[in-house]
Amino acid sequence: MKILLIEDHPELARSIVAYLTQEHYLCEVAATFDEAREKLILFTYDCVLLDIMLPDGNGINLLKLLRKDGVESSVIIISAQNALDFKLTGLSEGADDYITKPFPLPELHARIKAVMRRRSPHKSNVLTFLDLTADLESMECRVNGKLLSLTRKETNLLLYFINNKGRMLTRQAIAAHLWGDYTDNLDSVDFVYQHVKNLRKKITDAGGKDYISTVYGLGYKLNAAG
Amino acid sequence: MKLNHRYTLAYAVITLFVLSVGFAIVYGAMSRSVTQTTIGKLRHLNEVVAAQLRSGRDYAGHPARANVRIRPLAPSDTVAHAQLVQVRPEWDPELQSAVNVVRLSTYPRIGGQRYHLTSRAVVVMPSDEYLTGIVLVFAWTFVFLLALVVILSEVISWYILKPFNAILLSIERFQLSQKTTIGLQPSRTKEFNVLNDFLMKMTSRAQSDYQGLKEFSENASHELQTPIASMKAKIELLMDSELSEKQLLMLTTMHDELERLAKINQSLTLLAKLEHFEWEPAPLTDLSRLVPATEAAFADLAEMKGLRTTQQIAPGVRVPLDESLAQLLLNNLFSNAIRHNLPGGEIRVLLSATELLVENTGHAPSVPVAELFGRFKKGNAALDSIGIGLAIVKRISELYSHRVGYTYADGWHRIRVVFAAAGE
Repeated sequence: MKILLIEDHPELARSIVAYLTQEHYLCEVAATFDEAREKLILFTYDCVLLDIMLPDGNGINLLKLLRKDGVESSVIIISAQNALDFKLTGLSEGADDYITKPFPLPELHARIKAVMRRRSPHKSNVLTFLDLTADLESMECRVNGKLLSLTRKETNLLLYFINNKGRMLTRQAIAAHLWGDYTDNLDSVDFVYQHVKNLRKKITDAGGKDYISTVYGLGYKLNAAG
Repeated sequence: MKLNHRYTLAYAVITLFVLSVGFAIVYGAMSRSVTQTTIGKLRHLNEVVAAQLRSGRDYAGHPARANVRIRPLAPSDTVAHAQLVQVRPEWDPELQSAVNVVRLSTYPRIGGQRYHLTSRAVVVMPSDEYLTGIVLVFAWTFVFLLALVVILSEVISWYILKPFNAILLSIERFQLSQKTTIGLQPSRTKEFNVLNDFLMKMTSRAQSDYQGLKEFSENASHELQTPIASMKAKIELLMDSELSEKQLLMLTTMHDELERLAKINQSLTLLAKLEHFEWEPAPLTDLSRLVPATEAAFADLAEMKGLRTTQQIAPGVRVPLDESLAQLLLNNLFSNAIRHNLPGGEIRVLLSATELLVENTGHAPSVPVAELFGRFKKGNAALDSIGIGLAIVKRISELYSHRVGYTYADGWHRIRVVFAAAGE
């Protein structure tokens, strides 16, 4: 999986690259409009992460150029502008998704995965983690083949865990993922606790191991150790 | 009252005053001049009679003697004045009415003998009809003057005040956010030009301040988000490394504070954007669809807090609001209703054709409810909220002239958005 990150802030770019490399992506960086254009002409990328404000141009124009040249890559806009701006200005035209800065890295990862899946429907639509499986088509989750009766939010939560297995997920990141714009994450950490608790209970009730561990009351992690 | 009307009124009062004074003068002068003329005639008559006496002929029965009394004076009589005038009203049997009688006495010396000649004449004083005549003349003059003043003041003030009215119109049309300077015409009137200059200076300064502020808020918000994102990313990367519990705790605190910073920044940016939001005639948003949809989106949060939500949604309520702003408004209302609720509390949502009412149980707010629409005002300090949601709700409502109100009574918080009539 090749990703091109177009971001002029070097430190943020470095962090994103470090994270995505850990997740086994090949990640290249372009810091300017021109550099990005050049790279997009020369190489093919599965996914482009595009910052809108570039020192020598606007990411939206780059997106238009991309689409005009028939570049097929998925595009996720990374921007400091919020959802409302996108809705009000129709910025996200031609992009597959957008994510507002600052965002949790696991969230970015989850978005990339979702976008890539939409792009390649022939790929396997089942996520697995040890004896947990999640079918992305039917949205069914199983433990050792046994169907779990999860709510939509719980399913979403489990997918998020599997996508970011082995990583510590803060409650805030989980809240942002589950409720997005609907609520400011500051007071939804209790809700996250509730959801995680219910999910763990459902998995263990179905005979699964409790793979989700609490990290010092700060967040959660899905790992084999349990 | 218009400026030229005030002037006209002042002129009318002045004219009335001047004309009244004029009338008094004319009346006085007329009465006086009638008497004076009569006295003049009588003096002439006395002289004629004196001349007759000097001639020594007999003029008895001459018409000149009809109104003159002649009395020789004794040498012992002293004469105080060269002449004596008496004016007094008397009953005139010939006219059968009271008249003013003027008597003139002179004392001519004729051949060593002094005479006392008294001539008499009846004067008709200008009164009654006479007075009415004069009053009418003045009244007509006044009416005519007034009409002239009214008409001319309209015309002249329109002409003179044209630049002033143009200034007023320009001010009315002026928008801080417009790119061009205020359009003012130079005039030939000094004061208007002074006003023009002043307005030019003031508006252009206000415009540049406004632009500066706008750019600042846009830049600040945008330029802050990236470093925050970068810091958060670094912290997340750190969290996945081997750390002690203490270090993790510190990192998480940092992470939370950054999250908070980002949230405040985003909210402020949003408010600033809403301040400068240039709205076209609003599309109608179907709240009958949007309200239940929002309720559903928040349902799991409400459920986890053990809240009971009841809704009454009137069908087909379409309100002038931008859809994404309407969504934002509802999100804020619902998340507030959940956040500031008590465990096991209640939320009631009522949508009618004229208003949206969101009620929830909760503790009494610690500050007056009117203040809660301000920024960073928190009705409950214990909660970890930013306190900007209601400011956003208010701003969005104001954008489309909907009225929003907040009351607290009997343990219920009620937020009511009264819709402006469509097309208002």
